[in-house]
Formats: sequence, C-alpha cells, structure tokens
Amino acid sequence: MASTQAPSGMTRMAGRERRSPKLDMAPMIDCVFLLLIFFMVSTSFAPMPGIRVQLPPPGKPNPNKPKGLIVRIANPEGVQKYGTMILNDEIVNINQMFTEFIHAPEEIKNMVIIQSERDVIHEQIINVMDIAKQAGIDKIGFAVVARE
Amino acid sequence: MAIQMRTGKAKERGQALMMEPMIDCVFLLLIFFMVSAIMRVPPPFTVTLPESATKHDFPRKKFNLFISADGRISFDDLEMLTLDHMEMYLSSKESQITTLIIKADRLAKHGRVIDVMERAKRRFSKTEGQEIALMVAEESYGN
Repeated sequence: MASTQAPSGMTRMAGRERRSPKLDMAPMIDCVFLLLIFFMVSTSFAPMPGIRVQLPPPGKPNPNKPKGLIVRIANPEGVQKYGTMILNDEIVNINQMFTEFIHAPEEIKNMVIIQSERDVIHEQIINVMDIAKQAGIDKIGFAVVARE
Repeated sequence: MAIQMRTGKAKERGQALMMEPMIDCVFLLLIFFMVSAIMRVPPPFTVTLPESATKHDFPRKKFNLFISADGRISFDDLEMLTLDHMEMYLSSKESQITTLIIKADRLAKHGRVIDVMERAKRRFSKTEGQEIALMVAEESYGN
C-alpha cells in the first residue's frame, strides 16, 4: 500500500481497473496446441498384425488322438538357429514343408500339430504356422508334454 | 490482443483473424485425441517380433503381454517375476481383456511361450470368446 512511490504493479492495477478485464488467450492456446500435437503424435490407429490362436474349450484334453499332419521340431543344436523339422518321418526344410502340406491327403489336411521341444525359437514356430496358413490349413495344434 | 483487435478497430476494417472458431476446433480435436489415445507402454526389455506373411489385424489395446528372448515376461511395463504372478495378474485384469495379445521375441523359447499360453488358457477357461493373438512384425515399407 505504498502511496508515495507508485510501483509498477500499482500502475498496472490501476490500468486494469479502468479497462474491462480480459482473459489472456495466447498462453492458453499455446498450451492447448502443444497438448494437441502431443496426443496426435502419440496416438496410432493402425491395427497391429498378428496370428489368431483359438484356445481349445476348457476341460480334459481330447482323449481321441487328433488327426492331422504332425510336424516334429527338435531343439537347435550347436550354432544352428533353427531346429531340425520332421514331417512324415523325413527331415524337411520350410519350402519342402509347404509342398508337403499342399499335397497331403485330404483326411489329415485339416490340421497341423506342432510337436516341438522347449528350446525351439518362437520365430521357427511362427514360420511353420505361416506356411500352414498359406497352404490353407487353419487349425493348428500345439502338442505339449504334461509337466508336474 | 487478437480479441482486442477483433472487437476494436479491426472489426471496422474487417480483416481480423477469427480466433474463437479456431479455438473451438482445436479443443474438439484435443478432446478427441485425448479420449482415443491408448498410450504405448514399452516393456522393460526390447522385443523383436517375428515376421509372417499371413496375418490378421488386431486393434491396439492396453494389457499386452511381452516375452523377451531370455524368457522374461511383462504386462506392459510391469515385469512379472514368476508364472504364478502372471496368472494372478491376468485373473485380476480378466474382465478388461478380450484378446490376450502376446508379443514374444523372435528368439524366445517356444517352451516359455507355451507355458504362458497354458496359464492364460487356464485363467480364461471360465469366460467364453476369449482368444490369444501372437503378434508378428509390422510390414516394413522398404520392401
């Protein structure tokens, strides 16, 4: 309340009283623009690609042996990246597997059962699933060893 | 200042920028993006997804399950120390998950992925219509 010395704040207040009060819009708009840009950049609407896996219904495993093409995959050995794949008692590579799937007898062509050891890398399993889907086989089963 | 211009002298000149409609639009856009934003939460380790030629599209959701090359598991950024821990967390979030999105590293062990899927299956067995999605790499636009 200094009356003799008029500080700048006081003059500003006096000035404000004379004019009608105004909301300073510019900083708010700056903030809103920044927020808008942040949300625009961080939002992505593009869907993620993936492979659908339908889980079997709950309950005991099916006692009947399911019919299908059985692919056995062994653990990769040494410096190998992929494990050896066996289909119909023959060692196959991924390209041979595609032709085998295409030419498989109709009665077992509805399903591929992947019997894989635990240390096989995920990429190899995805490759086999991919080949099966390309060959028109939609049902894929994973055989697992029951553990305690 | 712009408002002063609009209400004051500039109104007579008729060349002021109309601020209010723009601010309205910006606010609407802001609210739209805020509501639709799903934050991408990175896992505590890096995950390189495998590639595949056949793929489905899944909408982006929260609660993604990441599996690293050395078998670590995390739900978004929350690392799960054991499979039991993961199963408990999964059951607490069950109502919010319709499709369990598994993002496993391409070098992850298949045994680990199967373990996780088995636990998820056990948790999801009560409700109908739940499924699992194994995520694959997005197409690179270079090739």
